[in-house]
Amino acid sequence: MSCRRLKDWFDERYDLEGLAGIARGKHVPSHRHDIWYFAGGLTLFLFCIQFITGMALAFYYVPHPEHAHKSIIEIVTKLNMGWLFRSIHHWGAQLAIVVLFIHLFSTLLLKAYRKPRELLWVTGFVMLAVSIFFGLSGYFLLWDERAFAAVRVATGGAGNLPVVGGLIKGFLRGGIDVTGETLTRFYAFHVAVLPIVTLALAGAHVVLVQVHGMSVPLSQQHRQGRPEPFFPDMLCKDMIIWLIFLGIVVTLAVLLPPEIGKKADPLAPAPENIKPEWYFLFLFETLKLFPGEILGLNGETIAILVISAAILFFFLIPFVDRRSAAQQKSPVFTWIGILYVVYFAVMTFIGFVS
Amino acid sequence: MKLNYSLVTRRTFINTLFGGWLAAFAAGSLYALFKFAFPTLGKEPDFVVLKKADFLDIPVNSVKPFAWGGKLGLFFKKENGTTQALKGVCTHMECNITYRPDVKRFYCACHKGWFDESGKNIEGPPPKPLEFFDVTIEGDRLIVAKKGVKVELPKA
Repeated sequence: MSCRRLKDWFDERYDLEGLAGIARGKHVPSHRHDIWYFAGGLTLFLFCIQFITGMALAFYYVPHPEHAHKSIIEIVTKLNMGWLFRSIHHWGAQLAIVVLFIHLFSTLLLKAYRKPRELLWVTGFVMLAVSIFFGLSGYFLLWDERAFAAVRVATGGAGNLPVVGGLIKGFLRGGIDVTGETLTRFYAFHVAVLPIVTLALAGAHVVLVQVHGMSVPLSQQHRQGRPEPFFPDMLCKDMIIWLIFLGIVVTLAVLLPPEIGKKADPLAPAPENIKPEWYFLFLFETLKLFPGEILGLNGETIAILVISAAILFFFLIPFVDRRSAAQQKSPVFTWIGILYVVYFAVMTFIGFVS
Repeated sequence: MKLNYSLVTRRTFINTLFGGWLAAFAAGSLYALFKFAFPTLGKEPDFVVLKKADFLDIPVNSVKPFAWGGKLGLFFKKENGTTQALKGVCTHMECNITYRPDVKRFYCACHKGWFDESGKNIEGPPPKPLEFFDVTIEGDRLIVAKKGVKVELPKA
């Protein structure tokens, strides 16, 4: 069948012309801060890399405490191209989280969350939380000493929440301790639960962007250039950035393959100089600020409560920031936003150097 | 007796019936699902039985690990030769601790917590002292039990 006939076949059944019209009508605002628009599409691209490499790795990974560690070593040493896929999966995940944070903070500071885009903020925020859980669960699948200690701390930290803490901890661990039960659970989260949740959320997020169009910052509303057509101009620019990042991911993957520690041993002491993944460093450093006991109460519980409250407030910013919702300047929330960004950056930096 | 007016319309009646059925079905399904997904937690052991020969002869000022259920237990021989057993889990975030013979202290590498020889939390974030166990010797067996637990071994 020739191309022409194939096109006719679809044309008779579906309104291709109408779809093309919608595509032609899609424009993206252009202004001084429009570069931040690229972070969203880039995250989507990095997630695609994760899905593809992850599916490939799942062919060979064995989620059992006896075999998990060995199966990863076999993936990187014995299988054709195994080292490349594992390495890309690792670095793709790291960059996806970096870009997600950039996307989040640029949305925050440009106040793109303001009415009517609150639900975009909500779906995006939940996706970030899901991504971090992706990171934690994926990294536990290594079943090495560092991952084992990290998951003990992370699930134990959740256990410090009042009332529901014990329940969450038991649910995540699959028992009172971190064991092989935890491994199968995290495997299920990593390869089944979280991908489906991500697909649903990402779908909703993209549909909402189409419904609302891109947000233009208040300061730029009267200084915009001519809107650019999405097809093909913006898409081509998007793809240029994707290609650059694909290059970065593959370069990192080839030059800096991630290490695999010693196999986890529930009876071995926690390894020296252990540090969590970089996106947990700000939490790690914050926990260190709290003493063991505050006014007779468990300092850990207070720390977890304070952190939860700060994250909850962050999540609710679109609903609290009434001035932005009324399309007015809202300097208070600009400063709150800067405070969050600076706190995150400084604590992450301290975590790196300490 | 025949009522002239009904308090509910047929529509409301059907909607309530159907909605109620839907709610009951959803609640039942979710309950079953959560019941399945939440594990039976189990508990820590009250005591463990070890071989005496494996532990009593360790050098002074050192520890030897044993399994306390799924957790780390440490058999500890002090400088003066007295022996004790304790749970080798940091009271802060549940990382496994290690004994540092050079300073005669227990140390947790996760968040840099320190405990002295008697298990007291002396530095860093740990909020509570370490948990020590009762140690008794019966024949060639070494019984490590939670404080205050009466050990009843099955007759061999």
